Amino acid sequence: MAHITENRTASRRTRYLAGAISLLLSAAAFTQDSLPQLDFDLPLRLDFSGSWEKDFRRSDNWEDELTRTLRVRQEASARQQSSPGSSRIPSVPPISVGNVNLPRSRGRGASIVDLARLAEYISRQNTIEITQTRDEIRINRSGEADLVCGVEYELQRTFSSAHGVEVCGWDGQQLIFQIMLPDDLTIMHRFTVSSNQQVLNLLTTVYSKNSEPFNLRLAFNKYEAPRDEFNCIQTLSRGQVCNQSGADLSTQLEDL
Amino acid sequence: MLVRTAIGTRWISVAMLLLLSGCAQTIPEPVERPLDLVGDVPLVRATQISTQDSLLEVGVQIFGTEFKEEEYEIGDWVFDEIIQKETQFLPHLLKNTLVDSNHWGAVRVIPESDPSLDLIVQGEIIQSDGQTLELRIRAVDSSGREWLDRVYADQSVQEEYPESTRFTLDNTFDAANFVDPFQDIYDRIANDLLAVRGSLGEQELAELNLVTDMLYARDLSPESFDDVLKRDDEGRLVLQGIPARDDPMMARVADMKYRHHLFIDTVDEYYQTLYDDIQPAYVLWRRYSIDQLAEVESSRREANQSDYGNSSGFLSLSQRYDRFKWSKIFEREFSDLAAGFNNELAPAFLELNSQVHGLTGTMEQQYREWRGILRRLFELESGEIGADASE
Repeated sequence: MAHITENRTASRRTRYLAGAISLLLSAAAFTQDSLPQLDFDLPLRLDFSGSWEKDFRRSDNWEDELTRTLRVRQEASARQQSSPGSSRIPSVPPISVGNVNLPRSRGRGASIVDLARLAEYISRQNTIEITQTRDEIRINRSGEADLVCGVEYELQRTFSSAHGVEVCGWDGQQLIFQIMLPDDLTIMHRFTVSSNQQVLNLLTTVYSKNSEPFNLRLAFNKYEAPRDEFNCIQTLSRGQVCNQSGADLSTQLEDL
Repeated sequence: MLVRTAIGTRWISVAMLLLLSGCAQTIPEPVERPLDLVGDVPLVRATQISTQDSLLEVGVQIFGTEFKEEEYEIGDWVFDEIIQKETQFLPHLLKNTLVDSNHWGAVRVIPESDPSLDLIVQGEIIQSDGQTLELRIRAVDSSGREWLDRVYADQSVQEEYPESTRFTLDNTFDAANFVDPFQDIYDRIANDLLAVRGSLGEQELAELNLVTDMLYARDLSPESFDDVLKRDDEGRLVLQGIPARDDPMMARVADMKYRHHLFIDTVDEYYQTLYDDIQPAYVLWRRYSIDQLAEVESSRREANQSDYGNSSGFLSLSQRYDRFKWSKIFEREFSDLAAGFNNELAPAFLELNSQVHGLTGTMEQQYREWRGILRRLFELESGEIGADASE
């Protein structure tokens, strides 16, 4: 009998105690420090972000550049014939990132004309959209996959497939992407932004095996793109879920 | 002018070489690891329920992931995030299989190892995509006896994803009739666990139940129950004595265990809800994944067969660039889908982690908090009863 009384008392006390604990817990406010932490190990980069449109006046015309290149080459060749060894143009070794397992052939490098046409082919975009965060920079060109690079000092591999390898890195404040394609075809993009952040320069260099490179310079001016009316988020089963800018998308996601 | 250009380019090359010299950028051919596939496995089901003593309570712990030392590309974190999410809901599939086999007592998905359960199954995801699932599974009972520690692998084919998995508004996902493409892996694990259980006698199973009770009691109050369990030469916990059936302390332990099990039943239901919520999107994701892997394989074959020969004309150059460009666009789209999958799952995980009223943090933190509350409750109660008895 004493045991039963003891157990009942204990049970009642436990219930009160449990009730008190749950009350205390439910009253506890949910506090969380949501301030972002700055990572001082990350280097600071110039701001490339914005909408950029091609400045045709200041950009190379590929045919003019090709003509000029051929003329300079002829002049150099003529000089070399008149005084052998005096003005030999150094050939540019292809940049190697090790064994990238891409198919190669023994053929010669491409002609400067074909390299020039390729440079023009891959540089047809008239506008570029760049977004930049503290960690990465994303370059969107229509018809192309985004060029994405982190801001770290190290060389970063950004993409690799059986069809090619892409790496990126920084040379000071200049952002470089290098694409290595089968048969030692290499494309390099070098992005530079002016100190007032109003002009973006893109130097595209194309070379193949030990051939001389072809360079195409493009200049872009910053412009104010119209603000996107919709705020969208990608989902898997419903594609893009959008609402008007400024509204919270999380409630719409919950309804999915 | 050409001199300037060439020198300029060489300078770029030198800069890049300097940049590159810091790390060896060897991109290896993908290595095909031999997988020990489970094959077609029929689940062994019990036709009649075992006696109460031999029914073991099983906890399937949230899985972990295997750390892989491999080169990462920018954006790979999206896929890591998916694997992290899979660690929370793949255990649910194993739990369902164990329940379906009808050989076990309560089977629950739990956030952490739990001393109140007879058998804990832990898993690690080694590889998970639409085509391959590879898990390391370890099962240990409350006495410390290891039941399993092996790697299980299974591969699916596109035909295992029925048309309903490519659901649209008109073609909704048929969850009731969907069989997971990797079900064989869970069936094999369940059968292997059953085989180990079959090798134990009724007496051993009954003792295991007692060890679990004492282990839980010791977890609640190490001071009171420290001497009831001891490790034998093999490192297993064995009973040193059993408290009397009417021991009030044991009654309180049983009371706490009952409450604790109510709590972990609730936690298990949350994991069930989580899986139900995300299953359609998850299956769709896996289907995209197997499609993508098939595409990558076909692309690799195409690249190997491509003979660029001596052609270095513009057409050949532009074709090389276009193939690269499209392979990159395709992969980026897949990454976007992966990010979309994570976005779609986010509310379900938020819901999971804010479920238990009054407790805060992730489900794991809530679980720890709850166990702490029970311990304090037990201490307080034992103290009060001790005081009552002394009066």
